[in-house]
Amino acid sequence: MLPSVSEVDMSKPPDLVQGTLDFLLLKILALEPLHAFAISQRLKQVSGDVLQVSDGSLYPALHKLEQEGWIAAEWKPTENNRRAKFYSLTRPGRRHLEREAAKWDRLSGAITQVMKLKEI
Amino acid sequence: MRIERWRYTLPLRLRSLFRRNRVEDELDEELRFHIDRLTDEHVAHGLPPDKARLAAVRAMHGVEQRKEECRDARGVRLLEDLVQDLRYAGRTLRRSPGFTAAAISTLALGIGATVAVFTVVNGVLLRPLPFPDPDRLFAVTLAPRGIRTAGPSMADRDYLAFAERTHAFRHVATFSRFGAKLTGGDEPALVAAASVTGDFFGVLGVPPAIGRTFAQGEDLPGRDAVVILGDGMWRAVLGADPAVVGKTITVDGSRRTVIGVMPPGFAFPGKTQAWTPMRIAPDPGNTLLRPVIGRLNPGVTPAQARAEFGTIAPHLSTDDGESLLSGILPLDELVVGDIRRPLEIFAGAILFVLLIACANVANLLLARGSVRTREIALRTALGAGRARVVRQLLTESIGLAVAGGAGGVLLARWIVPALLALAPEGRIPRLESIAIDWRVLAFALVISIVTGIAFGLAPAIRVTRTTARESLSPSGRTFGPRHDRTRAVLVVVEIALALVLLAGAGLLLRSFLRLMSVDPGFRTDNVMAMSLDLDGTPHSTPERMRDFHTRLLDRLSSIPGVVSAGAVNWRPIGDALIRGDFHIEGRPDPQDLTVVDKPAVSPRYFTTMGVRLLRGREFTERDDAAAPGVAIVSRAVARLFPSEDALGKRITLQTTPKPEDWLTIVGVVDDVKQGGLSEPLHAAVYRPYRQVSHPFFLGHMTYVVRAASNPAGIVPRMRAALRDVDRNLPTGAIVSMSDVLERSTADPRFQARLLGTFASLALLLAALGTYSVLAYSVVQRTYEIGIRIALGAGRSAVLSMILRRTAALAAAGVAIGIAGALAATRVLETALFEIKPGDPETLAAVAALIMATALVAGFVPALRATRVDPLVALRQD
Repeated sequence: MLPSVSEVDMSKPPDLVQGTLDFLLLKILALEPLHAFAISQRLKQVSGDVLQVSDGSLYPALHKLEQEGWIAAEWKPTENNRRAKFYSLTRPGRRHLEREAAKWDRLSGAITQVMKLKEI
Repeated sequence: MRIERWRYTLPLRLRSLFRRNRVEDELDEELRFHIDRLTDEHVAHGLPPDKARLAAVRAMHGVEQRKEECRDARGVRLLEDLVQDLRYAGRTLRRSPGFTAAAISTLALGIGATVAVFTVVNGVLLRPLPFPDPDRLFAVTLAPRGIRTAGPSMADRDYLAFAERTHAFRHVATFSRFGAKLTGGDEPALVAAASVTGDFFGVLGVPPAIGRTFAQGEDLPGRDAVVILGDGMWRAVLGADPAVVGKTITVDGSRRTVIGVMPPGFAFPGKTQAWTPMRIAPDPGNTLLRPVIGRLNPGVTPAQARAEFGTIAPHLSTDDGESLLSGILPLDELVVGDIRRPLEIFAGAILFVLLIACANVANLLLARGSVRTREIALRTALGAGRARVVRQLLTESIGLAVAGGAGGVLLARWIVPALLALAPEGRIPRLESIAIDWRVLAFALVISIVTGIAFGLAPAIRVTRTTARESLSPSGRTFGPRHDRTRAVLVVVEIALALVLLAGAGLLLRSFLRLMSVDPGFRTDNVMAMSLDLDGTPHSTPERMRDFHTRLLDRLSSIPGVVSAGAVNWRPIGDALIRGDFHIEGRPDPQDLTVVDKPAVSPRYFTTMGVRLLRGREFTERDDAAAPGVAIVSRAVARLFPSEDALGKRITLQTTPKPEDWLTIVGVVDDVKQGGLSEPLHAAVYRPYRQVSHPFFLGHMTYVVRAASNPAGIVPRMRAALRDVDRNLPTGAIVSMSDVLERSTADPRFQARLLGTFASLALLLAALGTYSVLAYSVVQRTYEIGIRIALGAGRSAVLSMILRRTAALAAAGVAIGIAGALAATRVLETALFEIKPGDPETLAAVAALIMATALVAGFVPALRATRVDPLVALRQD
């Protein structure tokens, strides 16, 4: 059986999970620009208990994506009028996400196929 | 696509670098926002506000660590850290000026001395020669190694044969240097001059700035009254006259037409500023060695030229059983000569000094490191990785080293002239190219950075190894001081390095002292020597030359206060000598002694020079052209007649002697160190100058005058005597033979002195290092020493405890140093005279000196240890 992601200590995410986290962040930002706190809320919302991302590890991941040019940041007022840093997907980021999604599809498809194999 | 990404990434990088504070503020704000919102949420779920906040902070898993990770994401981390570290280093170093001053001055001294030596090495050995395609220029040599003055050179007849046969070389030339008196401008001037063969300028490949160089056949009598001038001479003597070509000047009394002026900076060989043409006429019985230079044909490789030389050499005549300096050498070898080896040795020695300086600074850093352990532990606890802290400490040490290096370059500007002044005059070639240029600066920078890493790395690693818990706990006192082992190793290394240098200096010094105690075979006291060259003067035939010598000797002998006067054509320890074969009547040629010096001397020469007459008689005025041929031989030649007496036997210097060429031996004199004190004794066959008819043996003469006392006082009278005989002759230098002898030992003296200076510097630094380590260890052990004294240890027990430790360190250093010295001093082998590199006496003396110095350095801290007041020591903290 594959280990469930929740068993991994999220404060120091291993590579696979890190890559997955990047992918998830891009996907969430593809829907709408959000600030980091909102992103963490959204992550918890959409993945339930399966993906527990520590609040702390979110920031280095976001900053790395920003430095790579996949996402851009902008300071804007929030709904209750405090300044917050909103992240949004850039055009290169969107293309990057498409490539990653295609890769993910192939990979998960392959894994699903493997898992469907029956013992003879 | 890349470019599109840069649109986003580049502004971010620039912002991280130049708007660092703003970026940091934003990071703070972003994280604060998160924590605030999370706190609000926890409060909404019913937690009390303080607990809610704590939970929110905890959820970040370490806010400062997260910040560090975000900073790492910025991609300009290294550069940014460097700027930050440098600023931080500047602040820390300013806060401890004592340490900073000590470290920077030690480094400035070490790097300065290293840069100074490199400046000389760069100018002499590394900068290319100032000729077109210098790598195509070579010196051709086939010369006996034994002759001190020869260097790469060839006999005239070999040169002619080689020039005719070679196809590898497009141009070959040979030359002789002489000091010329130049008149024709406003002021007569003495210049370095060279007579050169026709293709000399073709070899060097430098065209004249004005006029032309020698034409074909301009070396023939009648057409050879021409001269080419150097730029400096043209400006100094002829006022930079642009229409100088065709004008006449007088060189050593003969009138010559100026045909060209060389461009500025051109001077070869040495500082030559006037060139006259020369035709090589071989002299079958004798060997005159001259340097030979050549420029390869295009497309010919040096290897091909060497192969060709290998086929030509067997046909050449110089083969007298001595070991030969034979082959094709880069022209640098001729220019640089035998200074290369000493320079390389000095360069190696100075690196030792630099290493010791490094070890000292590393010691200082370690001492400081223990003070800073708490600061570093704090930084580690706050999330700085170990690599990060090491990097910061290294930046600090490299910063120190670069500051020291800058000081060193300034120091080098003073050290270089001092270094050159220490060298005997004319010993270091290419003085004009010795300067602090970009290469030297680049070297200084590189050596500073390497130095910084060398002395900074070990302390940085050592200091950061201490765990945070240990040093943050308030009573972090331990009995065995933790840096002691590293520091001890550093001191041992310093002592070992200093010992190697001292051993080298000691060997050179003892070798020099032995050289000074060598009997030259003549007495130098009260003897003055005056050399004259009659070539190109009215005294040009053999008869006139002999007549001139006789008249001048008469005058010199009659000077009041002169005991006796004599003359020799090539004086001992001179620039040149004539050697050749000889044959004994009725015997096969001797196997082991085939080449002898062939000086022509006057009556009373041996008396004047103090050469001991062993048997027979000196030459007299009656030994003239009309009398039967006579010779006086030196002891080595006389030994060829073991059972019988050499007196009365006949020898000849000619290969195919005519009846009048047979000379009867009338006396035997002591052997003389003709080539220099360190050279083997030369066998010699002396002839009376009045029986010599070849102008080559008569044209150059050194008159030696022995005064009863105060030899310098007779110098004006010697000049007057010369003027009486011919007032148009330039009076050359008159030197005392003691000066000549001393100057001939100037080189070993210079080497011993310079290496001695380096070694003293090394000893001083090592002593400082030993002192600082022991002083530090006493401070560290104050508590322990306090307990010992409180428990009844006597002062002498404490003193001997510290001294024992000193002795143990020094002994370890000495043991390693002796092993190092045995290996390293082998490079001195060729520079040493009658002493072997591993000389046990020298090593023992040096080891004793080092032990004594270390104990003195350890005594002060030891004394301080005995004064520890147990009450004060135990109450500390």
